[in-house]
Amino acid sequence: MSRLFKFLLLPSVAVLLFAGCYPGGPDFTEDLDVVYTTFDDQYDFQAATTYAMPDKIVIDVEIDDGDTTYEYMKDIYATPILQKIADNMSNLGYQKVDVSANPDLLLMPAAMSSTTFFYSYWYCWWYGGYWGGWGWYYPPYYTVSSYTTGSMIMTLSDPHSDNPINQSPATWIAAMNGLLTGNNDISRVLDGIDQAFEQSTYLKTN
Amino acid sequence: MVFGLTSINAQSKTSLTYAVGFGTGDLGEFISQPSFRGANVDFRQMANDKMGIGFSLGWNVFYEEKSRDTYTFENQSLTGKQYRYSNHIPMLASFDYYLTAGQKINPFIGLGTGVMYSRRNTDMNLYTIEQDAWNFTLQPQIGIEIDNNLSSSFTVIAKYFNGFAAGDLSTDQTYFSINVGWTFKS
Repeated sequence: MSRLFKFLLLPSVAVLLFAGCYPGGPDFTEDLDVVYTTFDDQYDFQAATTYAMPDKIVIDVEIDDGDTTYEYMKDIYATPILQKIADNMSNLGYQKVDVSANPDLLLMPAAMSSTTFFYSYWYCWWYGGYWGGWGWYYPPYYTVSSYTTGSMIMTLSDPHSDNPINQSPATWIAAMNGLLTGNNDISRVLDGIDQAFEQSTYLKTN
Repeated sequence: MVFGLTSINAQSKTSLTYAVGFGTGDLGEFISQPSFRGANVDFRQMANDKMGIGFSLGWNVFYEEKSRDTYTFENQSLTGKQYRYSNHIPMLASFDYYLTAGQKINPFIGLGTGVMYSRRNTDMNLYTIEQDAWNFTLQPQIGIEIDNNLSSSFTVIAKYFNGFAAGDLSTDQTYFSINVGWTFKS
């Protein structure tokens, strides 16, 4: 073997070894989806039979000079989501009623997105040359990147509970979170809703 | 005239080995998959034909992708995929005793003591939980050298790493590895 070949052999093997040695991680955006639920373990879900739910999903709230404006999800996406929630509640034995019919529980769905930006920069005062013509230095660089996550939140609260500050405590909270993609596809949201109810068997009423 | 192939009386030995690791105890419960990403460097200065003293450096990476599952704690549940990583970097002072020095096949036993840096990452959603520790470590080993020529030999070693609980890791970090590689004598 030539000397050059032998000289290059060990570093080449080392590079291949270390490159192939890097362990894996998530490959698809769905791999990062999570569903979180929590409940009030003192609340008797078996005593509740009816619930009310709005026919719109809030995605943003603006407060301007004391005036509150809600922004809602488009019906093309909200309708199947609300239907999925209603189907799951029906399977648990709950009956959906109008809010004026004094329901045992109120279910409030909401959705939001959050964008996180990363930036980095480097610059040096000597870019453009040292004083006296001593040469040049590296040009500055600036980088920006971001990712956006979406969350779907469902809250079950009891409007009848006695509370010194007149608030309805949440008896059950479910939150689904994942990376937003550019696809107009809500199948991951619907799967998340199914999972939230699947891991909340204590909600089942008589 | 008699010609025979025998080992030279090596002054020092350097072993480069590829290591496959198997987690035991708490590490084995955290990651059940073996580690195929590992290497060790062992250096021994020979005090005489049978005893060598030196140092041992290594790195093993354990990784497992857990399938989608629900994790429940009291009144909270979280469903998702977990990606688990455990890195171990032992840095040990070591001693080996060679049972049949001068023979073509030379088994040995040894013990290393020192410190091992362990870092454990649990990734879920966009977050990671990172725990690390500098574990005081004892590492017994048993191995065999098979001479290839006067200055190198094929080496197989079985090592057991016992890192005692420290830092963020409240349980011992233990694993054993099968190391295969070459020993270069000078």
